[in-house]
Amino acid sequence: MSSVGFGGARVKPEEEIRNTRYKTFVLVWITLVILTGTTFSVAGMELGSWTVLIALAIAGTKSGLILNYFMHLKSERLLIFKVIIPLVMAVFLVFILLTFSDLAFRWGGVK
Amino acid sequence: MDEAKEFVFEETGDYTGAKLGMWLFILSELLLFGGMFILYSAYRYKNPVDFHHASKELEVILGTLNTIILLTSSLSIAASIAAIQKGQRKLSVYLLMATMALGLLFLVNKGFEWGAKVEHGIYPNSPTLLARAKGEILFFGLYYVMTGLHGLHVLVGVCVFSVMLFLIAKDKINQAHFTPFENSGLYWHLVDIVWIFLYPLFYLIT
Repeated sequence: MSSVGFGGARVKPEEEIRNTRYKTFVLVWITLVILTGTTFSVAGMELGSWTVLIALAIAGTKSGLILNYFMHLKSERLLIFKVIIPLVMAVFLVFILLTFSDLAFRWGGVK
Repeated sequence: MDEAKEFVFEETGDYTGAKLGMWLFILSELLLFGGMFILYSAYRYKNPVDFHHASKELEVILGTLNTIILLTSSLSIAASIAAIQKGQRKLSVYLLMATMALGLLFLVNKGFEWGAKVEHGIYPNSPTLLARAKGEILFFGLYYVMTGLHGLHVLVGVCVFSVMLFLIAKDKINQAHFTPFENSGLYWHLVDIVWIFLYPLFYLIT
């Protein structure tokens, strides 16, 4: 009774709970702090337009770590949890592209 | 069934349903902040120099400190939830209280930061701010709205955690029932992720 749930999939079996390691969490946290330090020092360098790209790439990596380990996406078995984030990111990307194509091609530009 | 003494994870279909609902809420929150990030990008694209100048006035050290504080609180809440699932109730409570303290510390820092800005006459619609370049007005407007909405989320998170603390004390949340606690943790991590993007975009513009 404990492990059968939605769509007959197994949910949070006991061994998974036992296997959640504090050590993994601490390692993820150390990586996150190191990446924060990297963002901070890269911002001080003169890299032109690369700076914002590097900052966003690092922020994306940090989010990925939090999503996968702290929010347990990595150990989710159901397909919906795997596709839901890319799906929303795709919607978000459409909004970004529409906004910036408007900004880039509007005659005279938006002030 | 002789399971009384054995640890049994009692939640079944509801568990996945509740978690899926929480994820849908989190994703709608991502789009809410996402809209603001697009607005920010559009104005920054049009006013790169003004944004650079205005960003220089923010306290980078305070911003970095707050990033570390939120990352650490994410660690403590993840560990707190793992602890309750493993049946280590006391450890879970300590970690939960640490998370709440870190959340409040974040807000105190934010308060000092905002306070200093207001003291310098920089707040929405202030005469000092309105006398500045248009891009700088936009930057500080976005700064107050986005960090303000984020701060509100931190405050809500701390309130939710205090309810969780109460529920743990009442033994409503324990080794066998932890779905609300796990979902409030997911919410806290979302708040952390939003800050991870706010930090470089507001404090580290070069």
